[in-house]
Amino acid sequence: MVKKLYWMISKDLLSECRSLRVWPAMLLLGVVVALMFAMQADLPPERLRQIVGGLLWLTIFFAGTLALDRSFAAEREDGCWEGLLSYPVSPTCVYLAKLAVNVVALAALECVLIPLFAILTDVPLLAHPGPIVAVAVLGNLGIAAAGTLLAAVVNTGRQSSYLLSLLVLPAVVPLVLGAAEATRLAVEHDFGPSWWRWVQLLAAFAIIFITAGIVLFEYAVEE
Amino acid sequence: MAVEVRRLTKRFGRRLVLDEIDLAVAPGESIVLTGPNGAGKTTLLRAMAAVIRPSSGDILWFGEPARGQHESRRLIGMAAHENRLYPHLTLRENLIFAARMCDVARPRERAESLLEAVGLQAHGDRLPPVFSKGMRQRSSLARALIHDPPILLLDEPFEGLDADADHWLSGLLQELRRQGRTLCFVLHDELKVRRLADRVLRLRQGRLLSDAASPAAVAHWSPAVQGLSAARVA
Repeated sequence: MVKKLYWMISKDLLSECRSLRVWPAMLLLGVVVALMFAMQADLPPERLRQIVGGLLWLTIFFAGTLALDRSFAAEREDGCWEGLLSYPVSPTCVYLAKLAVNVVALAALECVLIPLFAILTDVPLLAHPGPIVAVAVLGNLGIAAAGTLLAAVVNTGRQSSYLLSLLVLPAVVPLVLGAAEATRLAVEHDFGPSWWRWVQLLAAFAIIFITAGIVLFEYAVEE
Repeated sequence: MAVEVRRLTKRFGRRLVLDEIDLAVAPGESIVLTGPNGAGKTTLLRAMAAVIRPSSGDILWFGEPARGQHESRRLIGMAAHENRLYPHLTLRENLIFAARMCDVARPRERAESLLEAVGLQAHGDRLPPVFSKGMRQRSSLARALIHDPPILLLDEPFEGLDADADHWLSGLLQELRRQGRTLCFVLHDELKVRRLADRVLRLRQGRLLSDAASPAAVAHWSPAVQGLSAARVA
């Protein structure tokens, strides 16, 4: 299973490197939204510190949804999705491969957006990189896990990709709120029990969504 | 039996596409599904490949339930309307990927031998979207055969082929029959049906109208169709 997982991830990353269909659009959207937020948020530094986490995670969510949707839409071409499901590979393996590719995409987005927000808003987002990376990793896993499962449902039903945002947002609202709060507390150097509670919430959501994906993916992709 | 279909019903929403189909295909047998457009032939083939979930009924491959047995999928090779090749991977990379997914021992060697078998060795490093219809059909067949499956499901494999490619594919399918593979086709051309099928199954509106040995099925064709067929043979 590990080898097949590796080959599926390699196939998706190689396809993306050659086609550049998802990542440039995702990164461009993220940068544009970040610029808009930064230009409009003409606020005192104290106020900006309080809202920068929310702005960052909303940007990650909206730009990331683009990558989540396209991760399955690309498989639709020439019946590739049906071909993939016809291999002797467990649906869990397919889910984990898609999840891994989406985690990489969101990580790339975060690598661009976190420093960009720090520069544009002059908020010291990277003053304590460890906690910010921990929040980014957990938030990334949660959004990718829920988004991968729901993107599979949307694409199997051949629904419009606009539906994905509508489905994913309610599912990950607690996660986006948690990540925003944990980011705010990290920016304010407050790593007390409150910060830990938000991080635990993020970890719990990531575990729940990944488990749900593993269990439900087989049913989500069946026609 | 290589493939058994038991009381298979498939609905898409409220639309009944397959209605309690029963059918059994013996190992090494070659069957053809015919019928008008919308009769449910492709859906039946997809259900036999277990890529869609039946609303009710069962599919068995060599006596084992097809659904939920992911490892058993290597018993099936399917060439569908779409060629199932990733557009941003070369044909060679596509075949190697398929071989790896099917646990083929030497993926590269197997891909090379199939490229040669389907006459596309010179096109292995090209991307599938630039292929002609005939090349797409050949590459689709190579992908379906990559893991040497005992059961082969082919959905209108001759569609859009020129005379040379048509001749080549007929020869390949005859060879696959000689090798003892179980073949299930969707075909419309009655000459090919006669040449390639042991049995002909006619579907209409999701129901199995007839299931007859090939010569018997030919005898039931209308005089006009028989005349047309004879003229084409001549």
